[in-house]
Amino acid sequence: MAAGVAAWLPFARAAAIGWMPVASTPMPIPPQDKRKAQDGLIILNVSGTKFQTWRTTLERYPDTLLGSTERDFFFHEETSEYFFDRDPDIFRHILNFYRTGKLHYPRQECISAYDEELAFFGIIPEIIGDCCYEEYKDRRRENAERLQDDEEMDMNNDVTPVNLTFREYLWRAFENPHTSTLALVFYYVTGFFIAISVMANVVETVPCGTLPNRSKEMSCGDRYALAFFCLDTACVMIFTVEYLLRLIAAPSRCKFMKSVMSVIDVVAIMPYYIGLVMTDNDQVSGAFVTLRVFRVFRIFKFSRHSAGLRILGYTLKSCASELGFLLFSLTMAIIIFATVMFYAEKGSTATKFTSIPAAFWYTIVTMTTLGYGDMVPKTIVGKVFGSICSLSGVLVIALPVPVIVSNFSRIYHQSQRAEKRRAQRKTRLARIRAAKIRGTNAYMRYKQNGLLIDALEEVAGQALVGKAASPPFESQHHHLLHCLEKTTNHEFVDEQTFQANCMEISVVNKSGSRTSSLSSSPHGLSSCCSRRHRKKSSFSLPSTNNQELSTIQIRERPVSNSRSSLNAKLDKTMPLKCDEAYISPSMVRLSAPVATSSDDTSTATTTYSQSNIVRVSAL
Amino acid sequence: MSTVRYRPEGLDNLVQQTNFSKKELQVLYRGFKNECPSGVVNEDTFKSIYSHFFPQGDSSMYAHFLFEAFDTHNNGLVSFEDFAVSLSIILRGSITDKLNWAFNLYDLNKDGCITREEMTDIMHSIYNMMGKHTYPSMRDSAPKEHVDRFFQKMDKNKDGVVTIEEFLETCQKDENIMHSMHLFDNVI
Repeated sequence: MAAGVAAWLPFARAAAIGWMPVASTPMPIPPQDKRKAQDGLIILNVSGTKFQTWRTTLERYPDTLLGSTERDFFFHEETSEYFFDRDPDIFRHILNFYRTGKLHYPRQECISAYDEELAFFGIIPEIIGDCCYEEYKDRRRENAERLQDDEEMDMNNDVTPVNLTFREYLWRAFENPHTSTLALVFYYVTGFFIAISVMANVVETVPCGTLPNRSKEMSCGDRYALAFFCLDTACVMIFTVEYLLRLIAAPSRCKFMKSVMSVIDVVAIMPYYIGLVMTDNDQVSGAFVTLRVFRVFRIFKFSRHSAGLRILGYTLKSCASELGFLLFSLTMAIIIFATVMFYAEKGSTATKFTSIPAAFWYTIVTMTTLGYGDMVPKTIVGKVFGSICSLSGVLVIALPVPVIVSNFSRIYHQSQRAEKRRAQRKTRLARIRAAKIRGTNAYMRYKQNGLLIDALEEVAGQALVGKAASPPFESQHHHLLHCLEKTTNHEFVDEQTFQANCMEISVVNKSGSRTSSLSSSPHGLSSCCSRRHRKKSSFSLPSTNNQELSTIQIRERPVSNSRSSLNAKLDKTMPLKCDEAYISPSMVRLSAPVATSSDDTSTATTTYSQSNIVRVSAL
Repeated sequence: MSTVRYRPEGLDNLVQQTNFSKKELQVLYRGFKNECPSGVVNEDTFKSIYSHFFPQGDSSMYAHFLFEAFDTHNNGLVSFEDFAVSLSIILRGSITDKLNWAFNLYDLNKDGCITREEMTDIMHSIYNMMGKHTYPSMRDSAPKEHVDRFFQKMDKNKDGVVTIEEFLETCQKDENIMHSMHLFDNVI
């Protein structure tokens, strides 16, 4: 029931007095209205913007946040108001919903922000009023399409697993020729052969001059029959191989065979095989000639190579109803005008309008403003109706065409936007990666500082270096990560260091390291590291003096001489600049066996057989 | 969208004219103005509001009769004053006032007596609000039988019409009716 109407319920109940005298039985007892003294003003403070309304207004919809006891969670005692840390502009519309019973969708708001606010306040979007519902649904659909596009892109670009089966690899190569050079080569080769085949079909009908013993001019196809046959064979073989490969590689063969492109492929190569089968049979050679016409369908294979062609095809498919309407109205007009012209021209002598079907040709030529002139009306009545026919033809054709054009334009722009998004994606991802690296480095600096301070406190008994001036949020987060490291006996590193480790340090027992949150080429690293899997060598700790000035080695269990090395690094501490928003650093899990060897006690010179050593570069 | 803008007289006047308190009038007006921003209700709005409360059946006839009863100035519009005054009679008036109002509702041509035809119309309109899906299922003769019972009870001198005196007398003697007249006193 609309909110406003609910206010009229007391009136409706009062009007029920009119039934009382005619009623013959006693009435039921009315419900007790206990909440009568509850009507008061509620102050809703949304990010500083104060809204006020009656309590009863909010309680009209008890299954939403504001109408139920859930709002008590947001009650702010000091100011005696309800505080929500949300967007006040969108909240305005939500509050209007309580007041008027109609939810509106403002055009200038982002659809996902609006959806989030609705979800927060517990309002289902289906109750958006009719005035705004269409707009809302359209925006939502666009948003969903965009998200789907992004996901597909993710699936296509990001994951390049090495362990695709041959079949999947083949399918990927066919669908996205840019993935490997072999696929690209194949793509261009097939394109080339399509072009060759189509041109051969065209050229073989051109008259090529006469042979000495023939009077009639021969076409090139007859003169160089063998050459054309060889060319055709080559093309068909390539197409057949391509089709079979695609069929093998397709994830769902039935679906593939039913798809349009596969049908085109089949139609393109079947005439050749049928021609091979029935060679010298005169009776069916007529049919065979017809079949050769289908060879021209090879030109449609270009649609795999051209996005514009695909868009055109898709447009025509989506405008099927408009095209159907065009056809239907044209047919109606043709029949009407042909009939009229036939009867108008019946009287004149030697007229070409011998029958109504014969007049169809005249009508079509006139309505499409072609005007060949092979059939013209001679009587005055015929000429009058002929001119009406040509005028109406223009109208009938002009009406559905803009619809088709606008559809094409919309689809074309959509595909352009998809292309633009793909291009922007790369820069976006690069920026995200850079931010991640900054976050990782921030964490590394924190660790250095932290360990330095720990070490110094142990040695000197007081903190010589004050805690770096990072915001409390960040330092707490870093501490949390540090605890995680301690728990798992692993450490965080950044990308370069990890790669460096892979290359330089031949570490014992690296059994398949994996990156868990890197987004680019993780498997390159894994394959690299797994190759070093078996090499065993002892890692000797360089003495303090030889240590590079720019690196600090942090070990799992600090030993005495490491502390001295850290001491030497005191003056190298850089001030922390944690100004970026914190982004989770990439974590490398080196799944080393936890076997403790006796070497790892605190001795001066040790050979570390554990693989938990990483090198971190101080910036 | 109607361009009629009608403002009621001051709150104090209304408090004097009706038996409502200031707060009650405020609540009433807010609901009224929300649904009818122009300040007056026309019959169509009235019917649509009433139909929200009785979705199963057809309440338009009864709403029409109600509208006639509320529209004391007979100008096709119910202003807030008419609305408040009528409600005041129904909810806060004396029992005689209420019965008078009910009689006025039934007396369609306002000639001081209720004929059988008028009562039949009223009865049909009430039964229409029930809709088709009732238990026991609605017979077509149900309203007529009810009218007969009503006239049997009310029409003392058996002259085929019910006058105001007969109506008041019979109702005041009937306990059920007396009790039910006070049923909705607390709706505001």
